[in-house]
Formats: sequence, C-alpha cells, structure tokens
Amino acid sequence: MTAPSLLAAAEPVVRLTPQARIIAALLALVFMGLILDLIRRDRLLERYSIVWFLLGLAMLAGAAFPVLLELLAKAMGVRDVTIALFSVTLLVLLGLSLNFSVIASRQAKQITRLAQQSAIESVEPAEPGRGPEAEESAPEANESAPDSAPADSAPADGAPGDAP
Amino acid sequence: MAAQPAPSGARIRRPCQNRGVKTLVLIPAWNEEDSIEAVVGDARSHFPGADVLVVDDGSTDRTAAWARRAGARVASLPFNQGVGAAHQTAYIFAMARGYELVAQLDGDGQHPAVELARLAAAVRSGEADLAVGSRFAEASGYRSSFARRLGQRLFSLLVSTSTRQTFTDTTSGMRALNRRAMDLFVRRYSSEFAEVESLQQAVRAGLRVVEVPVRMLPREHGRSFITPLGSAFYIFKTLVVLLIGQLRPRQVSS
Repeated sequence: MTAPSLLAAAEPVVRLTPQARIIAALLALVFMGLILDLIRRDRLLERYSIVWFLLGLAMLAGAAFPVLLELLAKAMGVRDVTIALFSVTLLVLLGLSLNFSVIASRQAKQITRLAQQSAIESVEPAEPGRGPEAEESAPEANESAPDSAPADSAPADGAPGDAP
Repeated sequence: MAAQPAPSGARIRRPCQNRGVKTLVLIPAWNEEDSIEAVVGDARSHFPGADVLVVDDGSTDRTAAWARRAGARVASLPFNQGVGAAHQTAYIFAMARGYELVAQLDGDGQHPAVELARLAAAVRSGEADLAVGSRFAEASGYRSSFARRLGQRLFSLLVSTSTRQTFTDTTSGMRALNRRAMDLFVRRYSSEFAEVESLQQAVRAGLRVVEVPVRMLPREHGRSFITPLGSAFYIFKTLVVLLIGQLRPRQVSS
C-alpha cells in the first residue's frame, strides 16, 4: 500500500450529504428544463445547447450515484469529494468561456467583413463630371481638362523635388 | 484650406495621369465633418488623376455628405469599427477594382497631401511596397505632449526591435502601398492596433517598408480622445499585440 492511501484510510472520505444530493438533483432538473425551454422558444441554438445539456446530465448523475464523485475524487488524489467537484466544475466553466471568446472573436471578424462588404456596395458609381473617375466621358477640351492635364505631370513628380 | 470646387466637366482618362498608375486616395474618417471637405480638396488637388475614397467609419455627423460634396466617393461602414477596419475596407475595394496604388491620409487634416505625394512616388518607383510618413524621422517641427512622445518612443523601440528595421513613427496613418501590401492586409489586418501591427506584419512577410520624413500639422478641429490612463493601457495592449505578432506564423506575400 502506498502512503496516500494509508492516509486516506486514516481520515474518512468527505462525501456529499443526502440533503445536498437532493438539492443538486433538483437544480440539475431545473437547469435542463430551462435549457429545453430556451431551445423551444428559439432563444438558444441547439448547437450551443448540447454542451449545457450534457453538463446538466452530469450534475444529475453525480447526485444520483455518489460513487461516481468518489471515483473522481480518488482519481484526482483528493479526499474531499466537494473539492473534486468544485475543481472539475471550474475547469469546465473556464473551458466553456474560452470557447465562447473564440466564437465571439470569429463572429466579430465576420461582422466586420459584412460591414465592409456593405460599405463597398454603398460606394456610388462614379458620376460623370463629379468624381475624377468619369470613365464614359472621352478626353475632350473641357474647361477642367486644361488644368488637370498639366497637373498630372507636375505635382506628382514636382512634389518630391521641392519638399526635401 | 477651402474645399476645392468639384470640376464641372469631364476629366481626361485616369491612365493618362499619375504616370499610368491607377491610384486610390484613401481617407478614413470618423465624425470629421469640420475638416473632411478641406482634406478631400487637398487630396484631389495633389492627386489629379486619382479617385478619392472616404471610408466613413460609422460617423454620426455629416462627414459622408460633405465628403461627397467635395468630390470624393464614400464607403459608409454601418457602424464604427475602428480605423483598421476602415483601412481594410479600402484595401478590399482597391484590390477588387484593380487599383495599383493606395495612398492614405487621416481625415482630421493633419496630413498635407503634398507630403503624401512623396510617399506615393516612393511606392510608384518600385523602391518600396509600403511607404510610411514619419513626423519624427528628422526635425519636422511636430510637437506633441510628453506622454504621447514617450508612447511613440516605446512603440518605435518595440517595432524596431521586432523587425530589425528602424521605425520612428509607428502610429502614422500617412501611407502609400502597392497591391502586394494590400493583398497582405486584405487577408489580415488588426482593427485596433492597425498602424503599429501592420508594420511588423509587413516586414515579417518580406515586404519592403520605407519610412519617409514628412511634415504634419497639428489638429485643427476636434480633440484627440487619448487620456493618460487610456494611453497607458493602449501601450500595454500594443505591447501584448506585438509580442503575439512575433509568434504568429509568417504570412507569405504573393
């Protein structure tokens, strides 16, 4: 026999009381009912509900069969079942919230792309005579042409020259 | 500067101007109704053959209307998303419409278009894929608060260290870039830390990035929204972003 199990034999395993188990089972049932109701009223997508439903089932199983929790505690090397329960719960919640941050980031990116697409579609086609991009209009002797024609060779090239 | 009146007649074809390089002048603007007309007018007068695109980042004032009146085309984002998303909108637009050069300046009037023309020339000549205007590269007479200068120095140090290339003005929004750089930024572009992170991203992807000393003007309209605590937090966040950027897989630029 190894040292930890000797110690464990010396001090009794801390278990859940029957009262705590009943409360946990009731909470698990209420929780699963709530999830079913959210799905039914279209407030929660099935895709996101499955993991919560599994969590509710796990709660129920733990309350109904305390031996599962004791096995868990033993596997983790802790004597107190409640500590094992808390640790596992905390880890699961951490993982879930990280998962939701990942989902939120992906959706933020998708929303940005959508907004950008809509912005690009909102760009009005170039109107002849307004923007410089008047594709339809042929080069002609217009009043604006004389000052834009020399300008194309001047400022773009002239600027680098005079600025430094 | 007063707004340039929109030319009334047709202009000559684009390819004849700017030495045949199809150019888009990008002006991201968020509630800049006081300055946008002057900025658009300035851009149009220095980039006569180019299209001017104002990306309106969810403004709640008349920015979009005044930009249109000044002769710019306007892409309106439905809600404010940060300057990075605004830049990227224009890069997506420019890639799709075949622009070979994007020259960008801020909508608040701090960037004279004549200086931007020098950046555009650096990219057009093939010397750089991305040219960045720097207020600090040499004595440019630009003044800002002590906290901001400190932050700037810190960013410069970080970006310069991570890219092994000297950058003096990492938050400058005055830039010019070619399709190679646009393509990189269309694929990924930080929306919050756009200016700083994109330098790191570009150098890591093997793009030629040059910094060009430019003259910038103090803000005339509106106020900078940066507070001391806010900038401290911003610096911290940027630090984290740059560290993570070092760990990202290198993007291969086509």
